[in-house]
Amino acid sequence: MTSNGVLQIILFLIAVLAFVKPLGWYMARVYEGKSCGLDWIIKPFEHFTYRICGINPEKEMDWKCYLSAMLFFNLLGLLAVYTIQRFQAYFPLNPQAFLAVAPDLAFNTAASFASNTSWQAYGGETTLSYFSQMTAITVQCFLSSATGMSLLIAFIRGLARHETNDLGNFWVDTVRGTLYILLPLSLIIAIILSSQGVIQNFKPYQQVNLLQIIHYQQPITDLPGKLITDTLGNTRMGIKTLTTQVIPMGPVASQIAIKQLGSDGGGFFNANSAHPFENPTPVSNFIEMLALLLIPTAFCYTFGVMINDKRQGWAILIAMFLLLIPMVYVAVISEQHGNPALTQMGVDQAPKQNVFPGGNMEGKETRFGIVNSTLWTVLTTATSNGSVNSMLDSYTPLGGFVPLWLMHLGEVVFGGVGSGLYGMLMLVIIAVFVTGLMVGRMPIYLGKKIETYEMKMASFAVLLMPLAVLACTAIASVTHAGTDSVTNPGAHGFTQILYAFTSMVNNNGSAFAGLNANTPFYNILGGVAMLLGRYWIAIPVLAISGSLVRKRIIPSNSGTLPTHTPLFIIFLGGITIVLGALTFFPALALGPIVEHLIVSK
Amino acid sequence: MLHTLQKSILLLFLTVVICCGIYPLALWTVGQILFPFQANGSMVFDPNGRPIGSLLIAQPFTKDDYFQPRPSAASYDASASSSSALAASNYALRNRVANSLGSIVKYRNGAKAGQLVAPDMESWFQHDQFEGSPHIVAQWATLHNSLAQAWVNADPSHGAYVDSWTKTHPSQVSQFIKDNPGTPNPKAADLAIVFFQNFSKELPGQFPSRVTHVATYGKTETTIEPVNTGSDIQSIFFDMWRQEHPAVELEDVPADMVTTSGSGLDPHITLQNALYQLDRVSTKWARNLKRNPKDVKNEIEQILNGKASAPFGGLAGEKVVNVLDVNLVLRKQYGSPQS
Repeated sequence: MTSNGVLQIILFLIAVLAFVKPLGWYMARVYEGKSCGLDWIIKPFEHFTYRICGINPEKEMDWKCYLSAMLFFNLLGLLAVYTIQRFQAYFPLNPQAFLAVAPDLAFNTAASFASNTSWQAYGGETTLSYFSQMTAITVQCFLSSATGMSLLIAFIRGLARHETNDLGNFWVDTVRGTLYILLPLSLIIAIILSSQGVIQNFKPYQQVNLLQIIHYQQPITDLPGKLITDTLGNTRMGIKTLTTQVIPMGPVASQIAIKQLGSDGGGFFNANSAHPFENPTPVSNFIEMLALLLIPTAFCYTFGVMINDKRQGWAILIAMFLLLIPMVYVAVISEQHGNPALTQMGVDQAPKQNVFPGGNMEGKETRFGIVNSTLWTVLTTATSNGSVNSMLDSYTPLGGFVPLWLMHLGEVVFGGVGSGLYGMLMLVIIAVFVTGLMVGRMPIYLGKKIETYEMKMASFAVLLMPLAVLACTAIASVTHAGTDSVTNPGAHGFTQILYAFTSMVNNNGSAFAGLNANTPFYNILGGVAMLLGRYWIAIPVLAISGSLVRKRIIPSNSGTLPTHTPLFIIFLGGITIVLGALTFFPALALGPIVEHLIVSK
Repeated sequence: MLHTLQKSILLLFLTVVICCGIYPLALWTVGQILFPFQANGSMVFDPNGRPIGSLLIAQPFTKDDYFQPRPSAASYDASASSSSALAASNYALRNRVANSLGSIVKYRNGAKAGQLVAPDMESWFQHDQFEGSPHIVAQWATLHNSLAQAWVNADPSHGAYVDSWTKTHPSQVSQFIKDNPGTPNPKAADLAIVFFQNFSKELPGQFPSRVTHVATYGKTETTIEPVNTGSDIQSIFFDMWRQEHPAVELEDVPADMVTTSGSGLDPHITLQNALYQLDRVSTKWARNLKRNPKDVKNEIEQILNGKASAPFGGLAGEKVVNVLDVNLVLRKQYGSPQS
């Protein structure tokens, strides 16, 4: 690791930490319904929305009511995305005249964006019209993120309130989350990105005349398309010339801002944030990485404010950072080391200060180099964002192991906006319960007794993910429909499959992109996996919340285990690693670990 | 239930209006007023006002007069970005890199320091000895069955060449069928190894490659013919040449020069990559302009150092050179390259 690289990483982490407190405080004000500084401009919109939709903002919901509103709203979103894609040929803003998206792909995309996954089995610039990108994709980026945030807030209320059934109002939480948090932040970020060169226009694709005319050879065919051969049987070749290049256009900046903020990750272009129009400079890269972490980290502080004990929020944030930093280190070292197969042939992969970033550059952009590509990859899989600025399929085996493993932890190291923290709180409940058993004390978290019902539900939430990932991977590994899509030989091919389902069930959306995922098998099984991964966890989370909110708060005494101490932080990290690492170790041994042994021999 | 449905539909509709109407339009307005150049794709124009490219999208450059961008898995097709998606452990990646190394590697020291290895590699190839035994091409096909087959499938004209060989060599084909009873009707790719083994014996020190002719009616045409020099030989047999000459010290080739980027449209190269290409570019311009090569080299090196930059003095990202930008400067300073 170069010293400049270390410095860049440290500067970035400091920038992230600087926003935790102000943004966390702001979000707490928003969800508590208090004034927060932007009321004068947004309040009219908010009330207008309530009036039009017939929402009574004063009405509280119990957990079943909250859940059904959430599921209903998400189901409608899913249907809308599906329908828009199927009929995009009849809608305006389609200058490239794209036809309807195939049914299995449209289902996969709808499931993917409704569940905040943004797994993309399609190439954006070759499949979707501007209308579809905006009304289907961008809208879901906002709404699925706002949904995740609402769920978290309902869960926090379950801990903060007592002896009641009320968890808040789903409609109000979603509207306020969108209008007060996601929209203003997106606007600021999008403007900065625009200044760097992220495009924002509605022009058709532009044709430019190349500076150098390129000649290439191509066999000549007659009219039916048959090769023409001479008397010796040689194919006759003609020289073709390439004089133009088609440059894609579109309203990109508006989507990139929200896809980074909302742990969504669905890019405008096939190459996602590696595409120079989505991420043109190191500055835009910095802003986009910051956007990845802003809301998930700040939520830890919001949590502390809402339960009136900020130490609890900081404790969770510290646990997350402790899990993150070693992973950054492993990934950067491995990528900086380069690909041994290329070093043997005399390819220079050693970094030189200010001249050359070195390292394994296959699938990476030069403007980001090794450090900013790898840091991004770690962050995008630590959060459940899944946007990429370099291609994970071409990472060294250990470099590819890190994002896979971070997802196997269950997307709780920051995780998705909202969903990450409630996933972590599930683990906190398990950790409290286990420590309670170990020291023979009543398991109590924030004054609420953890009992059988909570443990059952938390186990449900935690165990579904490994089960779904491993079952789907197993099915794909033994069927032709699954293995035919694999594009790299050996252990890496298995990793491609494992990665795909890990990413989908965890609602991440990044991919070992070589896998040919646009097949009915992957589209349908993957679509189901994404929906399971999102809602099968959301339901027990709300159920626990509904149970906790009814309990009375037991004042803490000398017999209560404190949950903000270094001891508990380490224990929480341990529980997270044990649950993730042990469940997946056999699968990882067959994939990246064996590949690492082969490559470095 | 109906109530929830009504709320859902209305809220979804309102979100569409706000997030897809007001939000992008506000952004569009801000972008077009404050950053019109960036918001419209950082396009550059020729003096007649015609667009000649985007500073953010790589264009293909192959002439020696120009700096060349990184290889592209998308063939520089800006409307379909993509990466190679080759795993670090995939032999295809190693092979692709070896192929692109062959024609660019230079000696590091000795009498030929800085010169291309390619001519020596060609004479080694013509000598037709690998690790003590004759017939390099036959050994290559035997060692790397999949590469030999890939050559046949790479281009329809390759397949046709093998097909015409089968007509003149019926005994080899029938021998193959006898050895491989599972393939009673071998296709061109099945016969690839037998073909190369036979080709190597009949035409030692040669390899089938494209040759361009000017046909009688004035059009240029290309055929596949046995050759003993050229880029095919440099690229395909570099790996074997290197195995036999492990002690020769070569200049290290910058990694970004032989690897494809994530988007396939990376508009930049590292400064080290640009400096590696400097000799080729400056020699060509010096010849075009009939000037002292040293002066031209110094001038271009200054241009490169001036253009290489990273934001905040290198505190964000890496120092890179924009290929299109530098090539435009070269054109402005020295005129259009001679064809």
